[in-house]
Amino acid sequence: MFSKDNKLERLKDAETIIGASIRVKGNFNGKGDIVIEGFLEGSLKTEANVFIGEKARVNANVEANEALINGEISGNIKARRYLAIGKTAKIAGDVQCGEISIERGASITGQIIVSASDAKRVDKKIETVEEAE
Amino acid sequence: MNAYIYDDYLNKGRYRRALNRIEIRLTDLGLNGKIIRLGSIKNVRDVIQAEIKNGIKNIIAVGNNETANKVIGAMITNKAYGFFQKDVLFSIIPIGDNNSIATSLGIKKEEDACNILLARRIKQIDIGVAGNNIFLNKAEITSSNAKVSIDEDYTLELTKKTTVKIVNLNDDLGLFCKDRIDPYDNHLNLVISGRGEDNTFLTSNNIKISGEGELILDGSVAVPLPAEVGIIPQKINVIVGKERGFI
Repeated sequence: MFSKDNKLERLKDAETIIGASIRVKGNFNGKGDIVIEGFLEGSLKTEANVFIGEKARVNANVEANEALINGEISGNIKARRYLAIGKTAKIAGDVQCGEISIERGASITGQIIVSASDAKRVDKKIETVEEAE
Repeated sequence: MNAYIYDDYLNKGRYRRALNRIEIRLTDLGLNGKIIRLGSIKNVRDVIQAEIKNGIKNIIAVGNNETANKVIGAMITNKAYGFFQKDVLFSIIPIGDNNSIATSLGIKKEEDACNILLARRIKQIDIGVAGNNIFLNKAEITSSNAKVSIDEDYTLELTKKTTVKIVNLNDDLGLFCKDRIDPYDNHLNLVISGRGEDNTFLTSNNIKISGEGELILDGSVAVPLPAEVGIIPQKINVIVGKERGFI
């Protein structure tokens, strides 16, 4: 999920790609991978994976199997399996996932719940994540 | 039995030589048939419907995208279309400019078109519809304020002057997503090409476009906004060349 230069890799051959100059409003439901590089307001839900680009701004709750976040999100994120948060990510909302990785420099304002197979719960409110391994 | 539908503009003297070459080649290949000139016909649909009822097996549009669009439009609104679907084939002999449909089907020159007709390589592809008009390649609009509604779930708003393409059959070999456009899949693809990370690609059969301007179908037919774009349940049997832009 992280490339050699330590950046979150964009999903290849995504079913839906929203370009940087496009504004999307409404309920975005999909079955395949979704890449958002532009602006989204409403909700975003897919059975597969989501990639939020560095310049993307999302005012929506996001639900996916795996999520890779590099941009700004105002809303809750639910990644059933894995959530990768890049160094440019700014998240204002609660995060729930099976596994998580957070890059140095990322910002999260909200509650983080990581519930893997043993439903481990981490209740932590943090303003800024400076470093995570 | 073949019916060749000649477009109006082919009456101009500069196309005479090309038409002569085609007619000689078709005769050599044993593919000669009835010639119908659109210039002398007021109701294309009725004429094509009558030809299908009379047992025409191949309908060949001789002209450009506009000719192809008129001919297919007449064929698929035909009451005999159920019968047509099983037995009648459509093809194009491209003459002049604005021939992206022929290019997509792998028919690049008029001489090649005659050999392709003889080879009878047949594919069954989707047909797009916008308002009351059909299209084979794409519906396209260039706008800075168009609003695009997808499946009535969400809308796309453009933030700058952009060309929005709703593609059924790709005619652009440089398109970033050209390998993902499938004319067999019962779906249309909305494509907005930009630089770097400004490409948009999504799939839908229920697209509504509103705003100022008009939607251009297959580079030839203008549809005023607002317009609904989708695909029709029927498919069309087309004769294609080896160098077509799809599998």
